[in-house]
Amino acid sequence: MERDNHQEGEAEGVKICDPPSESNPPADTLATSLSLLGNHMFPDPVERNDSATVNKEEPADSLPSVDTAEEQSQDANLDSNQVTKLEAEETENSGQCHSDVSSQSQSSEDAAADNGQGDSGEFVVTMLAKAKLEEQGIGVKGRSSPLLEAGTQESPAFISHRDEDVTADSWRQHRKHVFVLSEAGKPIYSRYGSEEALSSTMGVMMALVSFVQSGDNIIRSVYSEGHTVVFLQKGPLVLVCVSSSRQSERQLRGELLYVYYQIISMLTQASISRIFEHKKNYDLRRLLAGSEKILDGLLNLVDSDPSFLLAAVHCLPIASSLRDSLSQILQKAITPNLVFSILIANNQLLTIIQEKTVIEDARLEPADVHLLLNLIGASSAFQAGEIWTPICLPLFNPDCYFYAYISYLDPPECTVCLLLLSTDKEAFYAVAECKRKIEEAMVAQNSLSLIAKVQSYSVSQVGVSDLRHFMYKPFDVPDNYRQLTQFTSPEMEAPYSSEEEKMRLLDLYRYMHSRIHSTSRPLKLIYHVAERETLLAWVTSKFELYTCFSPLVTKACAITAITKLLRWIKKEEDRLFIRYPPKYSTTPNPSKSSRGGKSDQQDSTDNGFLSLL
Amino acid sequence: MPEMSKMKKPDVKVVLLGDMNVGKTSLLHRYTERKFKDTISTVGGAFYLKQWGPYNISIWDTAGREQFHGLGSMYCRGAAAVILTYDVTNWQSLAELEERFLSLTDTANHDCIYAVVGNKADLTDPKAQLSRDSDVAPEDRTECEEDRTEPEVLSACPTPPASPASLSGVMLHKQVAPEDAAAFYGRILRYKGLDEKSSLPAEKMCFETSAKTGYNVDALFEALFDLVLPSILRKRNENQESPTVDLEECRGTSSKRSRTSCC
Ligand SMILES: Nc1nc2c(ncn2[C@@H]2O[C@H](COP(=O)(O)OP(=O)(O)OP(=O)(O)O)[C@@H](O)[C@H]2O)c(=O)[nH]1
Ligand SMILES: [Mg+2]
Repeated sequence: MERDNHQEGEAEGVKICDPPSESNPPADTLATSLSLLGNHMFPDPVERNDSATVNKEEPADSLPSVDTAEEQSQDANLDSNQVTKLEAEETENSGQCHSDVSSQSQSSEDAAADNGQGDSGEFVVTMLAKAKLEEQGIGVKGRSSPLLEAGTQESPAFISHRDEDVTADSWRQHRKHVFVLSEAGKPIYSRYGSEEALSSTMGVMMALVSFVQSGDNIIRSVYSEGHTVVFLQKGPLVLVCVSSSRQSERQLRGELLYVYYQIISMLTQASISRIFEHKKNYDLRRLLAGSEKILDGLLNLVDSDPSFLLAAVHCLPIASSLRDSLSQILQKAITPNLVFSILIANNQLLTIIQEKTVIEDARLEPADVHLLLNLIGASSAFQAGEIWTPICLPLFNPDCYFYAYISYLDPPECTVCLLLLSTDKEAFYAVAECKRKIEEAMVAQNSLSLIAKVQSYSVSQVGVSDLRHFMYKPFDVPDNYRQLTQFTSPEMEAPYSSEEEKMRLLDLYRYMHSRIHSTSRPLKLIYHVAERETLLAWVTSKFELYTCFSPLVTKACAITAITKLLRWIKKEEDRLFIRYPPKYSTTPNPSKSSRGGKSDQQDSTDNGFLSLL
Repeated sequence: MPEMSKMKKPDVKVVLLGDMNVGKTSLLHRYTERKFKDTISTVGGAFYLKQWGPYNISIWDTAGREQFHGLGSMYCRGAAAVILTYDVTNWQSLAELEERFLSLTDTANHDCIYAVVGNKADLTDPKAQLSRDSDVAPEDRTECEEDRTEPEVLSACPTPPASPASLSGVMLHKQVAPEDAAAFYGRILRYKGLDEKSSLPAEKMCFETSAKTGYNVDALFEALFDLVLPSILRKRNENQESPTVDLEECRGTSSKRSRTSCC
């Protein structure tokens, strides 16, 4: 995911660092612990025991590197005849190298394959065995290894609702695990199973991270036959994904970044840094307790909603006249310090309008919208009320809070949701008043019943017989520059109506996406004949398009069909996308509210009195 | 602002405070929707308007999570009643009220009343397994049995038990006795600098409830609403006498009180 590079310098930054060879860590330690991690994490440990992470597809000399970083470390590379390679993003050669440990580590992992488990290997074995015991609740106390030191601190008792048995096979078989831990190795979140039960597993992960770090490198990923382990370090947090989906490392890292952003959206980056500066050992679950469901929900969405993959928002197709009238209603209901008004139906955007001066500073990023939508989904349990909660939009500004007003306009169905974002903590009553105005206007214009009729569209409307589904994402073009990145996609219909089939199609799309966005060999067009369908993906400077056809459609046919599809989209554009997001100005003095977008909160004498109501 | 006239202006504000997971949302849900449903930990605060006779009562259901602590005093500003909620099976939840939540009420009205509510009584008291509120429909009970597998419910139960009382396989240990709550109530009065004799007595202001069965829930809210009535009437009178004074008066109170608040 492109987003990845966006705010991350660290990986690229260290790429060139090559630890002096004498300080290279004992190779077998790392490799063995990796294979043991694999052993512990992955299904059928027995089978995997010896071959887990070593998967030499290419001899080292077939790494004809063009990467400058790699160039500099050529010697080390050749000497060790190893399978590790530099993360040669962007400039990588075409070989389908399958790297096992694509950390920037120059250590020679292959030794492990040769030596099996040497002395230090045994060392790790013992430790991991211990970790295992602790997880089973037997708890072996005593001498702890230097490698695990960071991770084995006891976490305080905390009642978790995640009662899954982490020693069971079913736990291992989850398609995608996600863990969040602190730099000190304290568990913060696990998608499955309780964090306590997993504290030693997380300890091992942290040990890996710090182990590689001690050689001035950053661990990025570990590959085994069926699994990819991806690491992402963001400030004091370490995020780890263990996936048996066939997604690319980059996609998985993008997903971890969403998890990170969701945490930031609840706590802000600044406060997380402050907390850990103050106390390295802090148990962040104190602050995140109760938010697990928000993170769980996010991960489920990430798996099932292509918005995340495409880094674009999906808006509900509606007649542009209706969208315009809704926008106008929102535009008329404003109050000082209000910066965004968003109308959502069935978790999809109807319209979004924003304060004029804010849009000049920055636009709302799709990822921020995704986080907002996820928050709404997770807080809708009790829907008759009006929610007022601080929320940070990490891409807009990771260090400050907005105050979100969330209310449903159509109780008890609760499908149409109004989201108003203010920079003023005290503005609840003023913002709630905006909702009443919006409600009134919508009643007057009968908007709700019009919205209720709105549906996603069927691919059959395109009129191309073999086309089963598609996702179309236009890129910024000059006349809608700074507009929210959007995509359009029809309903998933038969044969993709069951959950499994939906997922299968999404997996195919993810595969196409990873090929298109391959760091080593990006492609512009892929025609892919799968078992039960044919897919064609195409990127140009104007759009990114993924299409799915019935099987046996030839490339030529597919291209013709796509031409038709593009013509149809062009014709329907006004209905499919939010074309020109309206702006408004809430204050006679615009500089104030523009600042408001960036500052935590400001004096609010204008409307503070309302809070006494 | 003439368009505002359509809005139901809340006459009075009631705030639910307490640690996460004690059951604030469930209590309010039981009272307003007559149901016990699975909840999601509240984010920030949720505002409800409850019609009570001719009056509009605004209720703030706040999040107990530490993450949202900074907002607490804002939700409490100008409150006429605060419901301090704990979980009878969790001593710490009572301690948290004193440590974390009591100071948030500094922004409440000077004549604010305080209720101390121990929820989840169904887990410790057989009597709380039967709703004391007569109007709880039988189907609600069935629903709550299905809703959650409570730890004490014996799992090997092929047919749902006929009444909640038969669920009483194992009772949890009651960590907070009514006397503890009453003692805490006394400390609240002291904290507020109120004279115990001229204030509402602890017997009247301490409740044990169950959002799950509905036990004592209506009694709690209705008692409170009755008690804030004078406050409502006073406010209405003031507004009638001079509708424009409203703002000024509110500003005055807010500046007087907000000095003690943390944000
Ligand atoms: N047995 C029992 N369980 C209850 C009762 N009230 C709430 N619960 C359960 O306790 C948990 C927390 O309830 P909530 O109402 O969400 O708690 P809360 O105080 O609103 O929590 P926050 O919103 O995080 O501050 C839920 O799993 C409820 O089902 C009760 O009276 N009896
Ligand atoms: Mg709640």
